[in-house]
Amino acid sequence: MPQFEQVSVFSSLIFWSVISFVALLFLLKKFAFPPILEILDAREKKIRDDIEGAEKINQDAEKLKADFDRQLKTAHEKANDIIQLAHDSSKKETEKSLQDTQGKVRQMIKEAEHEIQASRNKLLSEIRSYTAALTIASTERILKKAMDEKEQKRVVDETIEEVIQELEKRA
Amino acid sequence: MAEKESPLHHFELHPIVDIHLGGLDLSINKAVIAMWIGMAVVYGLFMLVGKKGTSMIPGKLQSMLEMSLEFIKGMVKEFIGDEGMKYFNFVGTLFFFILCCNLIGLIPGSYTITSQLVVTGTFAVIIFVMTLIIGISKHGGHFFSILVPPGVPKIMIPVMVPIEIISMLARPISLSVRLFANMTAGHTVLAVLFGLGLSAPMWIGWLPLGFTVIINGLEIAIAVIQAYIFTTLTCVYIGDVIKLH
Repeated sequence: MPQFEQVSVFSSLIFWSVISFVALLFLLKKFAFPPILEILDAREKKIRDDIEGAEKINQDAEKLKADFDRQLKTAHEKANDIIQLAHDSSKKETEKSLQDTQGKVRQMIKEAEHEIQASRNKLLSEIRSYTAALTIASTERILKKAMDEKEQKRVVDETIEEVIQELEKRA
Repeated sequence: MAEKESPLHHFELHPIVDIHLGGLDLSINKAVIAMWIGMAVVYGLFMLVGKKGTSMIPGKLQSMLEMSLEFIKGMVKEFIGDEGMKYFNFVGTLFFFILCCNLIGLIPGSYTITSQLVVTGTFAVIIFVMTLIIGISKHGGHFFSILVPPGVPKIMIPVMVPIEIISMLARPISLSVRLFANMTAGHTVLAVLFGLGLSAPMWIGWLPLGFTVIINGLEIAIAVIQAYIFTTLTCVYIGDVIKLH
């Protein structure tokens, strides 16, 4: 096996491999590894910072959401209060207006009743007067027809007599 | 001729640039060049991303590199603990070094330096010594309590300590042999199948050649898995000496 038999190359292989290894160690340590390790660290830091930043933003957002929810709740409560207030006030207004209207209607009914009563009375008195006149006229006509000539003559005579007596009295 | 036909032939190394320093042969050969090419690819990929400028929204290449570093980071944190990031550069470089060496060897004509036991052994020994240094510097004399597993009766200690020492010493051996054996076996299988495919007549030769394609795909997975295992075990060993028990 040449690896055991070629003893003459051993010194050269040992020497150059060790020297080369040390040289590679120096080169990699000095120039090759640092930029890659730095960028790895930088990326790690960036990712950590980004995650922390994102968590902070998330926390802020949650806080904002909580604030917003609270404000929304307050606004809802206020709105409900306003609605309730408006409802109460409108109910009051309606009741008041209803009462006013009812009062007016009642007044109007009363006035109308008075007017009706007055008209009725007037009408009744008119009817009464018409009826009296009619009755008198009718009675007169019936009476005129019922008296004969003799009676008529007597009534005329009596009337004449009464007039004469009256004139005499005056004279 | 018989040597040239051996499936192990391609593990042989010949100097390309002769360098001799104080009696030591430090010649540059194919394995070293393949290793450098692999390293250059890894470094080049990182520089390609670095030059364009890393972006918060990563491209495909940046994503791939980020994922690999995240993966190593996770491994370090899981097995070593919070102190683990101190060793991140070492563990990361080890992973990419072994991965590029394993993968570059899969290119035909290239060489896998991790198929040399002497290389994997050197790294395993360095890691072993490093863990000892970390352990002693962190815990002082108390570090040697690692040789006595918790809950062991006192009478058993004379038996347990040698077993634990053997187990500790077996770690670098298993670490190095595992990587070396996997890489060597994979390449040998590929070489055998390829040799069969070329030497067999056409009507049957396509079969082993087809297998080389499948095995090559498998080898890519093994290259990644072995780099992962080597790095994970390194983390486990470092974690053990830091946490003791």
